[in-house]
Amino acid sequence: MASDRRRRALTAVAAVWIGTGALLIASAPAQAADAWWTPVALTGTAITQVSAIGDTIMVRTGKGAMLLSTDGGRTFATAPADATFPPISIVTAGSQRWEIDSAGRVLHAASTAGSSDSVIDPGSPDLGPGADLIAAPAALPGVVVAASTNGTVWRRGQDGDWKQALLLLPASLVQGVPRITSITAFTEPLSEAIYVSTDGYAVLISTDGGDDWIRAGPGLPDSVSSLSADAGRRAVYAATSDGLFEHVLQVLPAPPAYQDAALVWRWIGIGAVTLVASVLVLLALVRLLPRRLEA
Amino acid sequence: MAAEGVGGRLQRYRAAPWWPAAATLVIAELGRGAALLVPITFSDPNGVDPFLARLSVASLLIAMPSLFVPRLQAARPILLALASVATTYTLLSAGPQILFDLFGSRSGSFDAQIFWSSVAQALGTLLIAFAAWRTVAPEWRPSLRMRHLGLGGLAAGVIGSAVLIGLGLALPAGVLGRVALQPVALGRDFPLLGPANALQAFSQEVQFRGLLLGALERTMSPRWANVCQAAVFGLAHLAISYGGPEAPFVPITFLVGLAFGWLVRRTNSLWPAVIIHAVADIALQFGIVQGLYGF
Repeated sequence: MASDRRRRALTAVAAVWIGTGALLIASAPAQAADAWWTPVALTGTAITQVSAIGDTIMVRTGKGAMLLSTDGGRTFATAPADATFPPISIVTAGSQRWEIDSAGRVLHAASTAGSSDSVIDPGSPDLGPGADLIAAPAALPGVVVAASTNGTVWRRGQDGDWKQALLLLPASLVQGVPRITSITAFTEPLSEAIYVSTDGYAVLISTDGGDDWIRAGPGLPDSVSSLSADAGRRAVYAATSDGLFEHVLQVLPAPPAYQDAALVWRWIGIGAVTLVASVLVLLALVRLLPRRLEA
Repeated sequence: MAAEGVGGRLQRYRAAPWWPAAATLVIAELGRGAALLVPITFSDPNGVDPFLARLSVASLLIAMPSLFVPRLQAARPILLALASVATTYTLLSAGPQILFDLFGSRSGSFDAQIFWSSVAQALGTLLIAFAAWRTVAPEWRPSLRMRHLGLGGLAAGVIGSAVLIGLGLALPAGVLGRVALQPVALGRDFPLLGPANALQAFSQEVQFRGLLLGALERTMSPRWANVCQAAVFGLAHLAISYGGPEAPFVPITFLVGLAFGWLVRRTNSLWPAVIIHAVADIALQFGIVQGLYGF
């Protein structure tokens, strides 16, 4: 009797071991996604502006120093005295040029040949004098995103319709609303993403022309002062309160897709666990609940 | 007392009126937890079973026998309440996919699919509530408290909503992700997702503060019944968000569950909690900017 029980127990233990081992062997190891933002250089240094074209990256530090790297950010040296950042109030995407004038109106030129044919884009908002943040992703012709001086982010749809796209909320009851510090997008048709940086909420991105936004700052400090998209390196650079960061173009995180066999085995395992757990619950309830009930 | 063995203590507890409800809740949650979590050891449940079908199947496999096995009669209202939570969540989350598979492009926009899925969740919940009402003996039958909403209840709902939104604004924006409003998405989504969120809140209140709390308080003290339903409410949120960035918020959902349970008992009406829950869900839907990895 006792040996019979022992034999049954050993069989059950062996079955559990073999089953668990088979399931573990059949399962594939999880793969971690690439980091969304990674530090490039100047960690610990506040950077207020960045511009990147190929291996040439120029930054301005919080103390006003201009630094230049010609090796993709590996090393930095003092920039020549006549070095200047390209204007951020003008953006050219394909044959289209968009510009914010000094009065805060959005000008559009259908040809990049010259500035003489720039006209105020119909329906565009008054962004306020001094507004200069604008971007136009080449992958979405006609789409423009610009920020007004009061902090509202506007977007122009491909149909030419301008609408408010993003209104930042206060950081808390005692803190104010963070500033929009930069807007950028790739001026070659690499990605539909539009990147907005803030000095409190890191970076927000939109991949549908400014209608919907997500927070895309993992790895970054909260305070981001400037962004620069470099089509040559397929990367976006962020000037932050803690150095220079880089985001290399990658797809948005999504659950993995399993092929037929892997999926079937996983479902069989999940189904078996579900069945065993349910049966055990019923057995426990039948065994533990009293026969006679009193309310 | 020390000489009393586990068996003796078990015998004594089994004579207590609260024992069947407490044992049912603990054992069923352990079994459902196993069905939910054990597959993590050999699979990727989020990728293979994103709609938590395993939880629904386990809940049904456990609840259905209670309709036929006399020994499980006392467990029936609680098992039906737990089944209503899991099955209707699967219905809600898988609804858009099911609608698309059935009707293709005629299934409407994603917002419309979510709206109809929320309708299905509410109807499914009411169907299970009706089943509980019809099949459970009067002395075990849960009180759903859906019959009246007095002026006091309405005031409690409005004031509670204001308090909840005030708390949300008082918390640092980064904690919740409430960093911005998206006016284009708001105008596009509110007509369908606003009612959808209200329906989801209604369903959850019927499940937790109607069916579950109503069933537990038949045999437990009001305080313990409330603690138990709030614990299940918290665990249900953990089931949805375990491993995700929102997992740390599960303790908050326990506290919210406690407050809702207290309010429902205090006003003897489900509706104040429905109002506050609906306002909170709508605020979360439209005041939160999603992150790269979810909430």
